[in-house]
Amino acid sequence: MSGATIALLGQPNSGKSTLFNALTGLRQHVGNWPGKTVEKKEGSFVRDGKEFKVADLPGSYSLSANSDEEVITRDFIASGKADVVCILADSSQLQRSLFMLADYAGINVPSFLLLNMADVAQDQGKKIDASAIEKKLGIPVVPFSATDAKSYDSFYKTLERAISKDSRIDVEELAKQYESVKGYREICDLIPDNVIDGYSSMWLAVKVIENDAVVLAKLKNALSAGEYAKIEEARKNTKGAVATGNCKFKWIDELLDGAVKTNDKQVTLGRLDRIFLNKIWGKPAVILTVLFGLIASFIPALPFMGVGEAVLALKAPVMSGLTAINCPEFIVLIIGDVIIQSFSYIFKMLGFVFGVTLVFGLLEEVGVMARISYVFDNTMGKLGLQGKSVMPFLVSFGCTMGGAAGARVIDNWGQKVLTIALAWAVPCGAAWATIPMLSSIFFGPGAVLVIAVILITMLLHMWVTAKIFGRKLVKKEDRYGMIMELPPYHKPKWGALFRYVLGRTKETFIRVTKVILLVCGIFWLLSYSPSGNGGILYNIGVAIEPVTKFFGLPWQLFLSYVASAVGKEGAIGVISALYSGGAYGTAFTQAMSGAANTSNLGSLLLANVTKPEALAFIFAMTFNMPCVVALAATYQETHSAKWTGRIVLYYTVVSLILAFLAYHIGLLIW
Amino acid sequence: MSLSEVKENREALVSEVSGDTRFMSRITSIGLTPGCRVRVVKNDKNRPLLVYTRDTMIALNRNECKGILVEEVRA
Repeated sequence: MSGATIALLGQPNSGKSTLFNALTGLRQHVGNWPGKTVEKKEGSFVRDGKEFKVADLPGSYSLSANSDEEVITRDFIASGKADVVCILADSSQLQRSLFMLADYAGINVPSFLLLNMADVAQDQGKKIDASAIEKKLGIPVVPFSATDAKSYDSFYKTLERAISKDSRIDVEELAKQYESVKGYREICDLIPDNVIDGYSSMWLAVKVIENDAVVLAKLKNALSAGEYAKIEEARKNTKGAVATGNCKFKWIDELLDGAVKTNDKQVTLGRLDRIFLNKIWGKPAVILTVLFGLIASFIPALPFMGVGEAVLALKAPVMSGLTAINCPEFIVLIIGDVIIQSFSYIFKMLGFVFGVTLVFGLLEEVGVMARISYVFDNTMGKLGLQGKSVMPFLVSFGCTMGGAAGARVIDNWGQKVLTIALAWAVPCGAAWATIPMLSSIFFGPGAVLVIAVILITMLLHMWVTAKIFGRKLVKKEDRYGMIMELPPYHKPKWGALFRYVLGRTKETFIRVTKVILLVCGIFWLLSYSPSGNGGILYNIGVAIEPVTKFFGLPWQLFLSYVASAVGKEGAIGVISALYSGGAYGTAFTQAMSGAANTSNLGSLLLANVTKPEALAFIFAMTFNMPCVVALAATYQETHSAKWTGRIVLYYTVVSLILAFLAYHIGLLIW
Repeated sequence: MSLSEVKENREALVSEVSGDTRFMSRITSIGLTPGCRVRVVKNDKNRPLLVYTRDTMIALNRNECKGILVEEVRA
């Protein structure tokens, strides 16, 4: 039997996501709203044999027309897709966080009010009389604390009460407030009842006064030109959002009058905030926190890594076993080099996703993420990003995939994609292992200089990429400075957090498996040759050597560059095998499973590769697509094959341009 | 005076808020409306301004503060 659809509506930091995760657990799905760049989160839970659907609507401070998020939210509710709306408010900041409720009032859908963070309010010495508020408001009001198991019982009961009673907000007092606004009565009278489904005339009139572009356009469509012109005329004489906003807050004040008791203690910055928000120590403190978080995220990742290694260890026995029973070589290789190899990658990747999601989720939940946004707001704002974006960048020094997975804390889709696109420019751990090694073989102490130039190039690359991709992803009118609440620190809700992390890990597993198998399969197929010598990629590489040489890459280095797109770890292995006369097909798969390099790599390279070529290769490899797994993670986080493809193409082109520049500058020097 | 000119730990009354539709709606929804009393908690150069009002700590980009005029409350 099917129950109702519940929509969760609340401001950022109202605990909406925590409630969503606690209710739905592993039964959730994240995608995009059709045709929109806004994330859509849906889930379900079963209670008394009935399946309830839950829609986690995008978090915003109000229901204005200023962002896609807000318009999607209010249209979703007004369209009747939700049977009941659960409006969340933060009990510790009731006066401000009830603004969403006030902005919602007038949308004709049953609702109830959840006073979240009841525990925090209690700790602050606040006493809230929910039943007094309920009496004035006309909809069920329930105090709630996500950490308290009993809270969920009252949540379910209130939910059922709201549905069975079809409870709607009593807007009489609010309407009285609006009557005092200049122009309100006139505009309200000009708007017929039910002219736009789901919204009351009061709500529409208020939005007209607030100069809400979407509502104005809808009214223009629905009404005759003459009627609309009258509304437009009346609107020009109003005081806009200031006047209506005042009414909303006055209504909230009346609602809370006598229902809330507080002790008027002046709030000061805690010890932690005095460090995080310090002008000098803030940035180092944030960077240290992220680094510790990164290290900590390896601990939950280790078991997954172990599984990944174990899968890889199966490869040799499985392959020899299959060969022993006379399985065709081609199939043996596909099973060993593609399927087993891919699953080894996938498990290791899941470890990272699990660890990074857990640590980032924890930082978000306890409130540290908001401090990070504050500290890096100015710096990241120059790139069109939020302060939070600094975290994926830092993580990408370790692993680009971790950075991409970490970008999910960024709540704006365009900024999230841009963050991932920039994070690709940060050389990862595997690149950092290769760069110094190659540089010191060719340039001795000059390696330090190479590393410095790589870092400078990285910053320039990010800046240029932000300019190129930013124009489309983060529109000019969406670039505004921070107006954000700095929430009090919260205790983490471990249960909900783990359920969320497990859910995300599971979803990642399902989605990326396809991508990794596909890409690894294609690369393998291109490298494969029945005789062991040759292969499509090899033939192409040799054939186009005159062209790649232009970029400073002889065929051996070019093929190694191609291999570095699959995994940077393998690049050196491929070079080493090719210059010692190995076949490309075998070199490729062996290097990818971590085969050792030849012991005389240094002299081998010096004998075959010139300095400018080496420099070209270092740049090409470093700024190439990070690896297959990063590609899969990017696809998973952006939900967009188009943008993932664009980023891949862009990085391939830019890395070759950089190789070209490095080579020709090298030729001038040596 | 502008909100960003208020010194740390001083209180002020918001006298006027002005800006484009988008700014107005954002600043209103976070609770900064004319007549409300704010305390400036932190005012560092190159960092967002930190103010406390309606039980809430709010971080405001300095540029965005330009449209918020206040009268300082003498202690």
